[in-house]
Amino acid sequence: MRKVGRKLALISSSLAFMFTFVACSSSTTSTTSPETTAAPSQAASAAAGTGGKAVGFIFVGAKDDYGYNQAAYIGSQAVEKAFPNLKVLRSENVPETAEAERVMEEMIRNGAKIIFPTSYGHLDPALNVAKRHPDVLFYHQGGLKTAENLGTYFGTIWEPVYLAGIAAGKMSKSGKLGYIVSVPIPQVLLNVNAFEMGAKSVNPSATTTVVFTGSWCDPAQQANAANSMIDQGIDVLSQHQDCTKTVIETAERRGALSVGYHAEASVLAPKGWITSSIWNWSDLYVDMVKTGVEGKFKGSKYDGKYRGQLKDNVVQLTSFGSQVPDDVKKLVDKSKAELVAGTLNPFNGPVKDQKGAVKIEAGAKLELDKLEATDYFVEGVIGSIPK
Amino acid sequence: MSILLPVERRMGKPKWEVMLAPALVVLAPLLAFALFLLASGVNPITLYGTMLKSTFGDWYGFGEVVIKATPFILTALAASLPAKAGMINVGGEGQLAIGALAVTAVGVYLLPSVPGWIGVPILVLVGALGGALWASVAAIGKVKGKMNETITTLLLNYIAYFTIGFFVHSLLKDPASFNWPFSKELAGQLRLLTFSSASRVHVGIGIALILAAIVWFLITQTRLGFRIRVVGGNVLAAKRAGLKDTKIQFWVLIAAGAIAGIAGMIEITGIEGRLRPTTGMNYGYLGFLASWMAWNHPLWLIATSFIIGMISVAGNSLEMNSGLPASSVQILMALVLFAILAVGRRKQA
Amino acid sequence: MNGIDIGTGAIRAGTSVLYASLGELIAERAGVVNLGTEGCMLGGALGAFAVTVWSGNPWLGALAGGISGSVLALIHAFLVITRKANALASGLTVMFFAIGLTSFLGRGFVNKQIHGFEPISIPLLSKIPFLGPLLFQHDGLTYLSMLLVPTLWFLLFKTRLGVILRATGEREEVVYTYGFSPKWIRYGAVMAGGFLTGIGGAQLSTAYTHTWVENMTQGKGIVAVALVIFAAWKPARAMLGAYLFGGAQALQLVVQQQGYEISPFLLFMTPYVITLLALFLVARKQRSQMPEGLSKVFNGAGGG
Repeated sequence: MRKVGRKLALISSSLAFMFTFVACSSSTTSTTSPETTAAPSQAASAAAGTGGKAVGFIFVGAKDDYGYNQAAYIGSQAVEKAFPNLKVLRSENVPETAEAERVMEEMIRNGAKIIFPTSYGHLDPALNVAKRHPDVLFYHQGGLKTAENLGTYFGTIWEPVYLAGIAAGKMSKSGKLGYIVSVPIPQVLLNVNAFEMGAKSVNPSATTTVVFTGSWCDPAQQANAANSMIDQGIDVLSQHQDCTKTVIETAERRGALSVGYHAEASVLAPKGWITSSIWNWSDLYVDMVKTGVEGKFKGSKYDGKYRGQLKDNVVQLTSFGSQVPDDVKKLVDKSKAELVAGTLNPFNGPVKDQKGAVKIEAGAKLELDKLEATDYFVEGVIGSIPK
Repeated sequence: MSILLPVERRMGKPKWEVMLAPALVVLAPLLAFALFLLASGVNPITLYGTMLKSTFGDWYGFGEVVIKATPFILTALAASLPAKAGMINVGGEGQLAIGALAVTAVGVYLLPSVPGWIGVPILVLVGALGGALWASVAAIGKVKGKMNETITTLLLNYIAYFTIGFFVHSLLKDPASFNWPFSKELAGQLRLLTFSSASRVHVGIGIALILAAIVWFLITQTRLGFRIRVVGGNVLAAKRAGLKDTKIQFWVLIAAGAIAGIAGMIEITGIEGRLRPTTGMNYGYLGFLASWMAWNHPLWLIATSFIIGMISVAGNSLEMNSGLPASSVQILMALVLFAILAVGRRKQA
Repeated sequence: MNGIDIGTGAIRAGTSVLYASLGELIAERAGVVNLGTEGCMLGGALGAFAVTVWSGNPWLGALAGGISGSVLALIHAFLVITRKANALASGLTVMFFAIGLTSFLGRGFVNKQIHGFEPISIPLLSKIPFLGPLLFQHDGLTYLSMLLVPTLWFLLFKTRLGVILRATGEREEVVYTYGFSPKWIRYGAVMAGGFLTGIGGAQLSTAYTHTWVENMTQGKGIVAVALVIFAAWKPARAMLGAYLFGGAQALQLVVQQQGYEISPFLLFMTPYVITLLALFLVARKQRSQMPEGLSKVFNGAGGG
């Protein structure tokens, strides 16, 4: 035993020193971080995205979560159908760490020339991999940074959320709305703000109370939050979670109204369903893959930051629940027409935060980067963001 | 795996068991998992083939295994050392996280322009201190409150997770990241050296192997190691022999935390470059499993860490090629562990 | 803020943990620590949900959840009792196994809707001010858990079965003199514990959330193990501990709704911090009350 152990110790420590030595000697030629080392090797002869055997999709959660990931998964199915010659590679539960880099590399090794990292936290890993593989095209969902062969896309989901806020503000008897959210990130805060603004446009005294669950999918905590909010007199619940079923069902059982997110889920709440904001990735994904495969990414609308809007049908408001009265529907439809026409924009200044400080100046034009980096709640929201 | 079984341990068992046990440990889980694969409509032979190819088929794949194995070796050491002293540390998870947190905070705010040859060693110490600090909560609880360290370290993992969340959402948040919960990036000279631009392998594996050798030496070749093993073997006997068991256990737990904290340092400086809410998630648990798979032997656990690293890397190709969900990898790992536990309790190394 | 709301919130959030604690308490009274509680809960949650989907009957589902918990506990019992494996390592492995297995098998159930347990207002009693809304507007499994606490106390401390069970964890020789085998009593206790823990999972999936999602217990099983120590192996104190944990969850949500400037992440960790503090405060004097068989696991040679 001792002998075996000694030998092993010897081997492992000599290995260790060898590694260290090699590293030190090679450090003069290679630089310190992988991001800076990987210069685009040879000028890609073909445009990024062409000539692939497969398309890769990376999901941060389970692909059948009745929510965010499922919406992207449905989009990937549309790609599968539209391009029978391309294999669709999927990887789910991919953490938002450097772990994602390996998954993307593995996809490239399996013949993928187009990759969709579908969660915000996959952006930095995707940028690293994009540098190493100039021939591979990346479409990142929700990012604000781009590269030669990496474009980002997203949907202005706050538009339908604003409309849902109008319906919720009209339907609420107490004027107290609740929003059960995961963690304080910009997409979440932006939606809460849009919802409150929509509600306030029809009921100036409407408030939106926010509860964080700390997780993208923790049904027990969601149920705790929903019950607690209803106990406090809130009568309309919306949410920003990856899995959305529990909050809707809990609201229904407690007799509260529901505004959905990610998915049309009226079947879960026959009595209390109002409406829902959803993604419609299918046509967009297919078009983006087509653009990439044909080598037309450079100069296309996807080369940069593409944001699909209500008018592009990338984000949608689902049909209303049966008990939503006609006047509410009409009101929502009117605002929807104005949003589509561009005559209405809730984020045109002045926009004030919870404490009354002006966040968007009067007359200021909407800036995508600023809007998608929201770090405040607007007036009328009850809740606290860690500073 | 059969070569992984230390010779000495086979003594004192009936002959057939000596022969059978190692074979069983290797074959039983692979066979059981093959059945499971067949039941899910996947051909196990081609799948095992693909998994091997994706990990040992080229240098990139093998490099990824090395990167994965590095933190596992350290968190496994953080479980094995206390195990020698009769304790179960399941807190590698939280200790790694707090180590990573400390390294990020110090690296980003105190050492942005310090040269690497000073900065990196400082960060190793900082990571170790962070991990040790977190372990000290459990160690103090054990000594002062007689709280069982298994339970406390497990609970502390949750608290560590939310602590990271607290910091990346507030004080450490990178202003240039559009208000997303990431810390600022570490300066380039503080990143661990890599060997080539083709792979992400960095010198962290060297640190891990050296630490494994040190722990092995300490346990088997020194008086202190002997004391630790006496405490671990039988607390009562240790007391009669006049050994201060609580003091030894206290410091062993702290040392374990320090090792896990270094894993956090390596993850930040070697791979991630910045702190994210889920940095290093599950590494502590997987390291714990690696340690138990190796009967807590500080050198054999290098091999088991590599095996777990391999299974995790191969898991990606398993998922892409078979359509099976990621969770099937966890099932395979648990099966391996069941086999090891079923083969029976081993003599202390 | 309102005391009734936090109280009801505590019961709602604490009931699944209460079941798991009671289950663990039985196993530990027989001298076996089962850290696989988390896994048994998950197994119970999925088993109950699946059978409720298929049969439409949540009681049948709860039964299946209990059985799932028992089966997972049986793996642990075999490894620990027959193969003499380290109890803590074996429990953790059962936990990992169950996490993997349930996420694998549960995929088809994420989208499923069930007619699970619904809250039942008990006539008359639910009208009592304060106590009515607090105690008498819950689902069937919650009422059952409240009845289970005194029942378990009675079984443990007032019956021959209880004496034998406790002796198994304290003094094996006594069990032999009664003519029983401690081994099989341990098997029985671990499986009975797994059954209750499984029902805890069932409460979570079929009564409280009506949802199955992978890994939905989120550490509740581990908290349950900690609470058994806090409870000094007494059912009533396990109940107190479970509601304390649930109450911390409910309280942090109410605090969030007031809009105080406290980081939600500090609030998220409070239930775990409180559990830890409670353990610290009571652990010292409780050593004497620990079943002797356990102290081997908790203090003895764990290293091999």
